[in-house]
Order: sequence, then structure tokens, then C-alpha cells
Amino acid sequence: MPKLIKNGDIIDNPYNWLQDAGQEVTANSIVAAQKWLTEKDTIGNIAGIWLEAGDGVEFLQGVDLNQFDVIGVHFPAFTDGRGFSYARLLRERLNYQGEIRALGNFIPDQLGYLLRVGFNGFQFNENVDLEKALLLYKSFSVAYQGDVSEPRPLFLRR
Amino acid sequence: MYQYDAIDQQLVEERVAQFRDQTRRYLNKELSDQEFLPLRLQNGLYVQRYAPMLRIAIPYGMLSSTQLRKLADISCRYDRSYGHFSTRQNLQLNWPKIEDVPDILAELAEVQMHAVQTSGNCIRNTTTDQYAGVISDEIVDPRPYCELIRQWSTFHPEFAFLPRKFKIAVNATESADRAATQVHDIGLHIKKNEAGEIGFKVIVGGGLGRTPMVGVTISEFIPRMDLLTYLDAIIRVYNQQGRRDNKYKARIKILVKALGIEEFRSRVEAEWQHLRGKESTVPMSEFERLQSFFSEPNYAVLENNPASLTNKLADSAGFARWFERNTFEHKKAGYRIVTLTLKKAGQAPGDATAEQMHKAADLADQFSFGELRVSHEQNLVLADVRQDQLVELWDAAKEAGFATPTLGLLTDMICCPGGDFCALANAKSIPIAAQIQETFNDLDYLYDLGNIDLNISGCMNACGHHHVGNIGILGVDKKGEEFYQISIGGASGHDASIGKILGPSFAQEEISSVIQKLMNVYVENRYEDERFIDTYRRVGITPFKEAAYAKAN
Repeated sequence: MPKLIKNGDIIDNPYNWLQDAGQEVTANSIVAAQKWLTEKDTIGNIAGIWLEAGDGVEFLQGVDLNQFDVIGVHFPAFTDGRGFSYARLLRERLNYQGEIRALGNFIPDQLGYLLRVGFNGFQFNENVDLEKALLLYKSFSVAYQGDVSEPRPLFLRR
Repeated sequence: MYQYDAIDQQLVEERVAQFRDQTRRYLNKELSDQEFLPLRLQNGLYVQRYAPMLRIAIPYGMLSSTQLRKLADISCRYDRSYGHFSTRQNLQLNWPKIEDVPDILAELAEVQMHAVQTSGNCIRNTTTDQYAGVISDEIVDPRPYCELIRQWSTFHPEFAFLPRKFKIAVNATESADRAATQVHDIGLHIKKNEAGEIGFKVIVGGGLGRTPMVGVTISEFIPRMDLLTYLDAIIRVYNQQGRRDNKYKARIKILVKALGIEEFRSRVEAEWQHLRGKESTVPMSEFERLQSFFSEPNYAVLENNPASLTNKLADSAGFARWFERNTFEHKKAGYRIVTLTLKKAGQAPGDATAEQMHKAADLADQFSFGELRVSHEQNLVLADVRQDQLVELWDAAKEAGFATPTLGLLTDMICCPGGDFCALANAKSIPIAAQIQETFNDLDYLYDLGNIDLNISGCMNACGHHHVGNIGILGVDKKGEEFYQISIGGASGHDASIGKILGPSFAQEEISSVIQKLMNVYVENRYEDERFIDTYRRVGITPFKEAAYAKAN
């Protein structure tokens, strides 16, 4: 079974990320958010949804997100930083409590920033050595700004 | 100036350790070129034409003599014993080795310096007026706010992979804009409202490069406590909605233009409503803490115009010239702001040798409380010089090559490193600067011409700010040959404007004679004491164009 990093541990990946709209949907599937939106009345049980870069999170206003075990955020390229804002908005504005999973072409060196904006699941591309990635899990022990885990900026704690 | 506490220090040290590990993995081929690229850029490291280039941040231009000595020392041990001061208050080393960069960063950290976010698609070094804190007509000292922005932008977790680079500049006086704030992604103008509260007029969407634009006002007044939440709102909208399909259309100016300022403003306001008043609202205690680092030095009680100064002004035309051009009025009686120019003929604009850096550090210790500033015009500034010591300083500055009395004149050029160093450049820029310096070497003539900004860029990325030079020179490539396009009418102050292209480009050897023709048109047409830019605005481009392209009889 493919592995992923979740909450700082390497675990088996219980879910199946459906990248192709034609793939069969099961209770383990992470389904494209746009697909879920149009088929939600008939789609049945799923593990969660995933956002493509460009989707934004506005369209999820009013949806009970905590019905999902996981929300994926896809990085088409690791330099495409839209997903950083999406994760933060999912946590801070839409109060999503479940797993936010980075998907696609992000790299281990981004883990520190990804954690700070609310990601806690990391499904790396297959060529990434997860043991080595874990070494980069937290490169900094302090931060100036507030973030998802500590909303108070340093100036409120100094 | 700002002093790191244990936390600031820990952050830069952890950054050094992180980059040391990234460099090791890159050299071991564990990180690809493509992966290492943004990581090294966010630590100021470019790969240039002949060698890497390391851009070291000088936050809002403030530099202690200790730091400058460290820079000199680093340039000797890791580079070719000189550095280049850039238009955005950074210092560039042109010849470091990649494998040495972690050690260089570690040495910088010893003196509270770094190269964090001096490049890459992230929030860059915040810049301001090189006269901050020492001029009388300033609303308040902008430096505590610059430091606030520096800390907020450093390792901002959400904004490290923006569509494109993001530059912020701060101005705090109505009388001038020495930081070119209107051609920044965000320009902040410190204001006081009717109740006397401090805040910011916020200008967004300025920038140079391929599509030069002057910024537009998005808010007339944002109270200072709301500054960071408002900046977060602007950049969050940009991060999600800025174009990522074409790097030449990825700056915020393109988004603002495409949406129109009304729509962009309403999106920012909508985002801000969620953030305003939340944890990132800055408390008074933080403003006070930051202000405490910029309290006045121990000024002596002095009178203006001491006899030693007025006598020398009467006796020495050379000194009087230097005093007029290269020094500026100080808020304290008996003091003067002095610019040490880095525009000596024979030296690339903005370049300083290690020896000159040591000398400037010594002069700062001797004459100006051990501090210096770096200016947008690529000069060094001693902000707090006693008027009764100006003669002594002038003598020392002349000896070190810092006293070329041409500040603000035609030969006080802004110039990028160009094709001699930069991999992006289409043409060389330093030889153009040298040619102009050689041709226009008559000081009386330069004084008669008065204030003229001449800016040179080696390519359309516009590091030499050619669009906002009164005269702009842009290097272009024509079938493998280097040519130069000339524009006129640009300005970077409160009256910011983008220059207009004169016409077809010129060969390298023609540049000085074209500039001479433009000067002749100006001299023939000007009213008494009218600046070049004002004459141009009055008479338009046509007479300049006709003169530049007139066939020889």
C-alpha cells in the first residue's frame, strides 16, 4: 500500500485520490471537488474531496465540510502557491477540522510552510523518500507571524 | 537601529542551517536544479553569466559600521574584494562559489544580517527613504514600520510561492519620494488623519519590467494597527488570483489592471473584513518596542552654520560645490546629512571596493554615530554629521573617492550590472555609464544642467529603473548586436511617470552624442531654473526627437 506522512508519522494511505473523472468512486475515494459538487446527491459515501489550483474555496461556503475525513489540495507545480491560501482558508474561515492533504508536485522542503497553513497530510510523489522528508518536517522552531496552529503573531508573545 | 533579540537571532541561524542542508543535498544531487532554484533564490542566490550572484539584504537601507566591515571582509575572502549596491538597498556579490554561500550566510548572521527573500517570487526587502529619521518634514520615522513589515514578511508561510516577486516601499514625507514607492507592488505613504492618528495611504500595482506602470491608490488611509491585516488581504487576493500562466503577466499590476482598481479594491475589502481586528492587529506595545530602536542618537547642542563651515564655503569653490550637491538639511541644528557618492568616473555606479567599504565604515564611526544608509540611487549616506566636521569629512571623502560632487546630476546615474555580469541582460550597461561619465566631465556644465535622473538597464527587467529616469537607457538585442533604446520624461518621485521612447535604438558609440543633443534642446528651451523634466513636460517629446534623429548637414 502506498504510504504518506500524516501528523508527523509515516502511515499506510487508506484513501484513493481520483485524478481521473472516469474512475470508479468508492467509500475510500478522494473526489475532485467540482465533480462532487455536481454529483453529490448520487455519489454515495466518499472519504473526501480535493481542490484543483484555481478552484478557490469560495464555492464551499455553506457546505458541511466536516462530513469529509480528508480534503486534498493539489499542487500542479511546487512553485504554484495558491494551495497555501486554500488550506489556511479551509481551517480559519471554513473551520474544517479533518485532514488537509497536500497532493501532487509539492516538495519536502516546503513542509514547514505547509504545516503552518494547516496541512497535516502529505501524499508525496512516488520518488520522494518519506524518511528523508520527515527530517525536514520542522526547520524552524519560532515564527514571526501567526499561523493556523498559533494564531498569535510573535509580537503578542514577545 | 534595530537590534536582534534571541528570537531574531535564532531565526536567521535556523535559516542558515536549513540552507546549508539544502546546498549539501543539491551538491549531492538529492535536489534537482529545478527544486533548488526557488530555494536558493529565496536566499538571494542567483546563477549568473559567469558565476553565482549573492544578494544580501540591507533592510530599509540601515547599516552599522560593524556590518559594513563584515561585508568588506566577506567580499575579500569569498569574492573579488568589491560589492555592488543595488537600487533596492541590497548589496550584491558577483563572484561567490555556491558551496561557500552557507558559510557566507553564517558570517552575516553573526552581525544580524541575512539574504532572506532578496530574490524569488516572495515578499522582498522593504525599502524606504535614505533620509528616514533625520529630516524635519517627515510625518513620523518610517523605519519602525519597515521593521514591522520585515518581520511580518520574513518566512510568511502563505506567501513564499507567489505568482511573481513582490516589492514594498515606504515613504513618510510629502516633500519627496526618494524610495520610488509608486513603482512598487505596494507603496505605503505614512499619513496622519484629522484625529492625528498614524496610518498609511496604500498604493498598489506599480512596477517596472516589460509593462511599466505607476501604482494606483487602493486606500487613502489604513490605520497603522490594521496595516498587516490589510497587507495580508491584498496579497491573499493576489496569491489566489494573480496570473501564473505567463511570468511576464504575473505581477500584481497586471491583476489590478485587468480587474480595474474598483473591483480589485472590493475583493481586498471583502477579504479584509475577515482579518481586520484579528490577532495580526498590531498593538501599541509593539509600535513602542520597535520605535525604541530608532530613538535619536546623542546629538550635541549646536548652532547652524558654524564659522568653520561658512569660512570654507566662502574660500573653496570645490567644497561649496560638494556642500551644495552632496549634503542635505538635517532636522537638528548644527548637523547635516552627507551622501558618499559611489559614482566616481572609472568605477561602475553603485560599486564599492572592500577598501572603500572599510573607509566608509571608519568615516561612519568618526563622523556619524557608527551608522550608514544605502540609497535607492546607489550611494551611501552618513545621516548625522556635525556641520563643524564637514570640512574634515570632505577631505577624507575625497581621498576615498566618495566626494564626486554630482549627486542628482546627469552623471549620478542608476545603473544595473548589465551584460558584464547578468545572465538576463541583452546588453552591457556599465560601459554606457562610463562613456557618459567621460563625456560629461565638466562640472560647471553639469551644474548648469541641474537635476537630471539618468537610469540605465541592460534589459527590459528594468533593474536600472530606466522607465522612471528623466532619461532612460535600455539595452536591447538586435540580431545578436547590442543596441540602446532611449526614453525621456520618466520620473520616480511623487510626480512619478513612465518615460516615452524616443524612437529607433542607437549603437553604443552614439549614446553620448545623443544625450548631448537632448541636453542642447533642453538648454535652448528651458525657462530660467526650469528642470529638464519640467521643460520636457512643457514642450513635449517632438523637439527632442527631431534633434536626436536629425541628419548631419
